[in-house]
Amino acid sequence: MVILTGLLTACAHTVSVDGKFPAPVGTQHPLTVGIFLSDDFRKFSYSENRDDRDEWNINTGRAQKNLFETVLGSMFKETVNLSQYPSDLPQGVDLVIVPEVRELQFTMPRETRVNIFEVWIKYDMHAYNQQGESVADWVITAYGKTPTAFLKSQEAALAQAINVALRDAGATLYTGFERVPELQAFLAGKQRALSMKQTETDE
Amino acid sequence: MVKFLGTLFSISMLAALNSGCTTVVIDEYRRSTGELAVGDSVVILGRRHSSDYETEPDLIDCVGKTLNNPKAGVVVIPEQQFVDALYPWFEPRTAPMHIKSLSKLMDIPDVRDRMEKYGIKYIVWIDGSTETTSSAGSIGCSIGTAGAGCFGFGTWDKESDYEASVWDFRDQELSGKISADAQGTSYMPAIVVPIPLIARVQNNACKGMAAQLQEFLLPPQSASR
Repeated sequence: MVILTGLLTACAHTVSVDGKFPAPVGTQHPLTVGIFLSDDFRKFSYSENRDDRDEWNINTGRAQKNLFETVLGSMFKETVNLSQYPSDLPQGVDLVIVPEVRELQFTMPRETRVNIFEVWIKYDMHAYNQQGESVADWVITAYGKTPTAFLKSQEAALAQAINVALRDAGATLYTGFERVPELQAFLAGKQRALSMKQTETDE
Repeated sequence: MVKFLGTLFSISMLAALNSGCTTVVIDEYRRSTGELAVGDSVVILGRRHSSDYETEPDLIDCVGKTLNNPKAGVVVIPEQQFVDALYPWFEPRTAPMHIKSLSKLMDIPDVRDRMEKYGIKYIVWIDGSTETTSSAGSIGCSIGTAGAGCFGFGTWDKESDYEASVWDFRDQELSGKISADAQGTSYMPAIVVPIPLIARVQNNACKGMAAQLQEFLLPPQSASR
């Protein structure tokens, strides 16, 4: 019975990604932003058990939390980590950003022509104003890959590919934020308001 | 700045390392002479935007470590340190593909300041990979009451194909290109014990590129040091 249990669980793989990410370099947007990462997001885990594949359990929750807090924390003049939303929203918050994982996919070298591990992660991003009204919804698609390496386990290689994908998500979030039309308009409105305030102060 | 139009030459090196035979061919196209001065630094970066291969991080690491020679005037910033310090502008999907894109990136004051703080003079982009092109033979191993042993013969060919583009960061121009093509065959005879005779194809491509880059980047009088 012990041997049978061992054989049944021999093909289960667990990957836990706990990445640290660098803070982006660039200009900050003049906004005070609330960041709400739900429990599902902070503890996100993807499980797959198909007939044509081994069983995989992939935990990216902690790494995602680190990434979004670091990147969003560097993108704006001020950020507030919210433990709950929409209740108890602090005063002075211009925008609340709420990310959700829509999808995670991966391929192994034996499944494709190429000798690399590949990972795709799709995030649904939501932005709300102080009144809780939706300002923008947009999608971030992240891609990461890593070549197979001699004496490196499948788990280690997949974790590395996930880390590359998360860095890519952070890069897309940072560089693509201003390209979302609704956010572009929101930022332009905020800039106008700041300019008017500055003019009044000067007079 | 001196311009060499079509300075093109080939260097062939035959090396037998660990009995595995490797051939390395280095080609160079140079548009300007090296201008590395005291306080200047170089960064070697791998291109990782292709969907079907990836320039190996260990190759980039090897070229960087081999090229790094502060006494000779070549200071190399490690790839990961540079990419982290300039996140997210040098990630696989955001990295500038052309020198013109680099000048756009320099419009961001924080990015420009950080690049200047590192003293970057040259950015070297390496693109390519090492692949096993063919293999033949077989080795069988068995365990019996009399002991264990292997018998057979295996052989495999590896090919490296890399191109290094040298960008002059301060003058915002392409200084030149270096290509490295390496081929080698590894053998594994097994009579009781397998004896691998490995051709270090990627390692020889790395050393060839690093030697050529050193000549390329240093001013003519200091290159001979």
